[in-house]
Amino acid sequence: MDFLKTISVAASGLKVQSRRRRLIAGNIANADSTAEKPGVDPYRRKIPTFGRRFDRELEAQVVELGRVKPDPTAFRTKYEPGHPAADAQGEVKLPNVNPVIETMDMREAQRSYEANLNLITATRRMITRTLEILRV
Amino acid sequence: MAVTDLPLVAMLKTRLHWHQTRQKLLAETGANADTPGFKPKELKAPGLAPARGAAAVSVERTNAAHLSLAAARPGEDAVLASRFEVTPSGNAVSLEDEMMKVSQNQSDYQLAASLYQKSLQMLRTAVGRGK
Repeated sequence: MDFLKTISVAASGLKVQSRRRRLIAGNIANADSTAEKPGVDPYRRKIPTFGRRFDRELEAQVVELGRVKPDPTAFRTKYEPGHPAADAQGEVKLPNVNPVIETMDMREAQRSYEANLNLITATRRMITRTLEILRV
Repeated sequence: MAVTDLPLVAMLKTRLHWHQTRQKLLAETGANADTPGFKPKELKAPGLAPARGAAAVSVERTNAAHLSLAAARPGEDAVLASRFEVTPSGNAVSLEDEMMKVSQNQSDYQLAASLYQKSLQMLRTAVGRGK
């Protein structure tokens, strides 16, 4: 039945978006994770990538999470000589996580998640309507 | 003669199948709403008239093995798959547009299903078992 395949395709979207949200939550949680000693890098922001794959069973292009890539941008620094991770100049490297960007990413992921959920609800309603034909 | 051989019922059946396939295509677009380089597709409206030849003007085929333009993408409608915007990643999915299409597809499907049910009721009346 094609409708069940439709739900599976939309579910692939749900799965990817929820894993993306998990990654973003990890980024936000580690927004202040500095290293413990000087010379070591602090937490580096992770970026999810998306890829599409043709699923032969579903006969449709489903979405899947590609490799999680590190963000290559420079770390923020803060002058704090007393910090255990401070270098000779008293600068501490902070993660390259920008909470504003993460929040917007989170919102985008949520919107896409809801769109997929909406699709599943609509498809389920169509299935129910089809079954109602039997109940004359 | 089966019920589905009746012209009206057969037409409704085609329509229901079409909505089912479109729903799958919409799910594909929704799932790939953030995939780089993904372009949304759209189905051609189901025509009840038998398919006529391809467009009047087409590219000359110098070899029988060449694909014809019509055969390359059967059933796809390039015009309806509107591109509201293409993001720098090459993704051209507009979620709002997609959601509108989903609800439209759903109500059209329900309309066709109701019509199907009504025509079955009509048949039942014809054989004397109606209300």
